[in-house]
Amino acid sequence: MVILVIGGSGSGKSAYAEKVALRLAKDRNIKKYYLATMQIFDNETQKKADRHRVLRQGKGFITIEQPIDIGKASEKMEAEDAVALLECITNLTANEMFSKETAISETKVIAKITKDVEQLIKKLTHLVIVSGNIFEDGAIYDPATLGYIRAMGIINQTLAAMADEVVEVVVGIPIVLKRRKQTCMS
Amino acid sequence: MKLVIGGYAQGKLNYVLQKYQLSKYRVYDGTIPAEYKQCEETIIVNHFHQWVRDSLLKKGCPEQEVLTLLDHYDRCVIISSEIGNGIVPIDPFEREYRECVGKILITIAERADEVERVICGIGQRIK
Repeated sequence: MVILVIGGSGSGKSAYAEKVALRLAKDRNIKKYYLATMQIFDNETQKKADRHRVLRQGKGFITIEQPIDIGKASEKMEAEDAVALLECITNLTANEMFSKETAISETKVIAKITKDVEQLIKKLTHLVIVSGNIFEDGAIYDPATLGYIRAMGIINQTLAAMADEVVEVVVGIPIVLKRRKQTCMS
Repeated sequence: MKLVIGGYAQGKLNYVLQKYQLSKYRVYDGTIPAEYKQCEETIIVNHFHQWVRDSLLKKGCPEQEVLTLLDHYDRCVIISSEIGNGIVPIDPFEREYRECVGKILITIAERADEVERVICGIGQRIK
């Protein structure tokens, strides 16, 4: 099963997505992977990664750091029968787009992330994907940032179409936007 | 206690006033009561996010302050804009502000007996 969890900054989407991943793993008692995408380059990102690590502590997640090429994470996972929590598409897209000297085009980034996530889905029993709702501040940004927002919009739509369930988290409350029949989540 | 969230200029305060038809209430705009005393009126905190921002600028501890407020007033409506649904700001304070409003709203939502999201003046109950 593929579940897409979206939300804004500080919406509680991470905590909710983790809960979903734990529940999916518990149902079958299978391995849990945490696919981390944040590039750590200063104190603040370090603190954020540490905070997330503490939240996950003792819950049995195996962490795979994969800031780009998320498809390659599937080669690092031993278990076939497993659940992975991918956090998050917002970072992954920025990393894929802006890590090289010149920005990668929107179309290339969209195609790459779609292909990489499909590779993960093929390998895993369950995939929980966290992504950001970055679309509602109405601000006009520089062309590069606007390109990023457009790419994120298409990626979210593509992932939502692939997902069995799409949930928006608002002030910690999950709101189901899409649910395929016969899924067991609540 | 009730929490009402939504985008900027969605008619959140009007929605609250029309829905509850309160006879006794007081609206605090971008601020919270300075002292706690017994009162019959419902406390409405409008532009709650603005108060969080001001509190952070004054190096205050908004989460603690608002929890104290809620401990004292059960009849209370907190109205806040949703500010986290955009591009992560470059400025560190702006990032802290967004994260802080988000975290406090999660805490308030947990305690609230009702959470509503207002769009175009229409309320959608999410808790």
